[in-house]
Amino acid sequence: MDKKMLKPVVFILSILLAVIGTTLYMGTYFSGLLFILAAVAVFLVYRWLESGKTALIDLLKAGARTLMVPFFGIIIAIVIGAIVMLASNYDPIESYRALFYGAFVRNWYVSVLNAAPLMFTGLSVALAFHAGLFNIGAEGQYYIGAMAATFLGLNMNLPPVLSLVLIFILSGMLASAWNIVPAVLKVRTGAHEVITTMMLAHTARYLSPIFIRAHGGDPSTSDHAYVTDQLPETNWLPRFNSFLPDANYRLHVGILVGIVMALLVYYLLYHTRIGFEIRAVGENKDAARAQGISVGKAIMMALLFAGFLAGLAGVNQVVGLDHKLYENLSAGYGWNGISVALLAGSHPIGVIFTALLWGALDAGGQYMARVTDTSNSIVEIIKGIILFLVVAKYIYAYLGNRIRRYRRRTQEAAKEAT
Amino acid sequence: MEGFFSIANTDLLVAMIRLSTPITLAAIGAVVCERAGIVNIAMEGIMIVGAFFAAVGAIYSGSPWVGLITGVVAGGIFSLIHAVATISFHLDHVVSGAVLNILAMGVTRYFMVLFFGHPGTTDTIPTNLGQMQWAIPGLSKIPVIGPMFFYQTPIVYFSFILVILFAWFMKKTKLGLHIRAAGEHPLALETIGVSVYKMRYLAVFISGLTSGLGGAYLAIENSASFTEGMTNGRGFIALAANISGGWNPVGAFIASLFFGFADALQVRFQVGKIFDIPEEIFIIFPYIATIIAVAGLVRRSRPPKEVGTDFMIEQEGD
Repeated sequence: MDKKMLKPVVFILSILLAVIGTTLYMGTYFSGLLFILAAVAVFLVYRWLESGKTALIDLLKAGARTLMVPFFGIIIAIVIGAIVMLASNYDPIESYRALFYGAFVRNWYVSVLNAAPLMFTGLSVALAFHAGLFNIGAEGQYYIGAMAATFLGLNMNLPPVLSLVLIFILSGMLASAWNIVPAVLKVRTGAHEVITTMMLAHTARYLSPIFIRAHGGDPSTSDHAYVTDQLPETNWLPRFNSFLPDANYRLHVGILVGIVMALLVYYLLYHTRIGFEIRAVGENKDAARAQGISVGKAIMMALLFAGFLAGLAGVNQVVGLDHKLYENLSAGYGWNGISVALLAGSHPIGVIFTALLWGALDAGGQYMARVTDTSNSIVEIIKGIILFLVVAKYIYAYLGNRIRRYRRRTQEAAKEAT
Repeated sequence: MEGFFSIANTDLLVAMIRLSTPITLAAIGAVVCERAGIVNIAMEGIMIVGAFFAAVGAIYSGSPWVGLITGVVAGGIFSLIHAVATISFHLDHVVSGAVLNILAMGVTRYFMVLFFGHPGTTDTIPTNLGQMQWAIPGLSKIPVIGPMFFYQTPIVYFSFILVILFAWFMKKTKLGLHIRAAGEHPLALETIGVSVYKMRYLAVFISGLTSGLGGAYLAIENSASFTEGMTNGRGFIALAANISGGWNPVGAFIASLFFGFADALQVRFQVGKIFDIPEEIFIIFPYIATIIAVAGLVRRSRPPKEVGTDFMIEQEGD
């Protein structure tokens, strides 16, 4: 067959394999992993067909280089975690066995459930980072999204798919509107978005109890005090077990929405004009302005998109998992979204994997705490260390310089001795 | 409206002072730190760590004074991570601060489970500093001013002293001048032979100590135990106090009083049930006040020139 004909076929094949594999794997069918690996292999063939052997090798090398830092970060964090466990009289080997078994095998569905909201908040923070902004208040937009989704879910009577789509879009837009004040202040007065979005995050958190009491939460009862009424089943997000019978009954397709969003954010950032402007402003404001880019507009867009994405995390939890809104359900998805974005180096595709890793560590930690004596808060420490080792890239350059300097000095000393 | 006036009394002003103290303390740290060129959004985390270790020290030793010291020291040590990351490893200041805030939550929760067997709240400390009200002879008898400034608890007095001390230190001493130069024109400072790195390390460490003290205040003076999340964004409010206070200790103190007042007012409204609206509406007062403050209603000065920028010295062999 002609090479030109072959290329699109191979490309479509790899996409197909990836879609099937991801769907299966996220639905706790471990055979999906084989499909994903096959998709990667086919994609590499496609790259080879397109740009030749040397380009492919360069791509692999670059990939290995980017993965190196996180990989070593994780290894070192695990070692430090083991030392901490030893120092506090926990058994590290038994604990880690439980942690990884729980995270990636036994309770993989919990990992996936945890990862879904993190993917949205992670994307939110990552997108803002590209404009040089820090959306530290994603937690607040999460609450607004969750409240809006609960309100719409309780009150909307439309055909199932249409109502879900509307819930996602409208709630996201409301969460996005929550970021208008920080965005306008940033553009007009330069008020730092770290402070304004953070303050609004606390505000949103305290608005949620009022909302809950207005929508079925009744403080005088014991079982219904801190939670709204339940959404009608027509407004629930579909679950995996409707088409994959062995999937856990709680596992919903929110994770797939998250992955699609990651791809969309990637497209937005790297293949659209507004994405280019956002990145240009994040890179260098003055240069962007000199090029005729409206800095204010880019900042507005970045913060509004970020609010939208963080809001979707809340929507995802309400229509996917809980089907109602709990008070003080502070699972910290907003805060953890920051870690997820930083760990991924703000790359939207990277966020998919870091969200899954973070979700898995949480799920594994819970499982570990159940079957061993080890407290699952060790996971928080491991997460913190991984994060630090990954973001502080300069550490490696610093150590490299130190070693080089030491070598040179010993060589010089050896020369002088002879 | 009668209810409204019933809360506008001296007690409200005393509460304002007490609620502004942790913000004041952290804000002093923020001033020193940002003047040296380092943005420190890790103060929230440093306060958490300070509060937790203050509670631990007070519980295990039985003395709140030991708790005070452990809290301050823990805050100082924790802040050094920020210093190493931003100064020596040239990490983005905001990123490092965010990571430290996350790490602080993890570290305190871990030690909480290790020491007390459960997350949430620690045991109660035997005696807290809030019980020790010291009257300054004579002055405490002055109406309104007396109860506000001269009949207070120990850390509140410390905060007054520190405001004055740092106002003098930053303006009048050589070291203070060097710290300011590190944030204004680091290269010039380096040319006259003073290490920018050292000045910045010192400034971050100072902010760690004061934020640690602010945290300790929350756990061992304002209450008698440590609860997760008890700082409630005060580290960030302190940053706002520093900005709206014009990057100087006295201004930051006045801004902190404003935030303390918003907080005191909301507590009164909440407890007094003066208006028939949900109490949460009042809780958000201080947060909204903070946004208004940084939005520039009180803007009059400019930030240090090189705040948040990295400074790297070309070293031999790099």
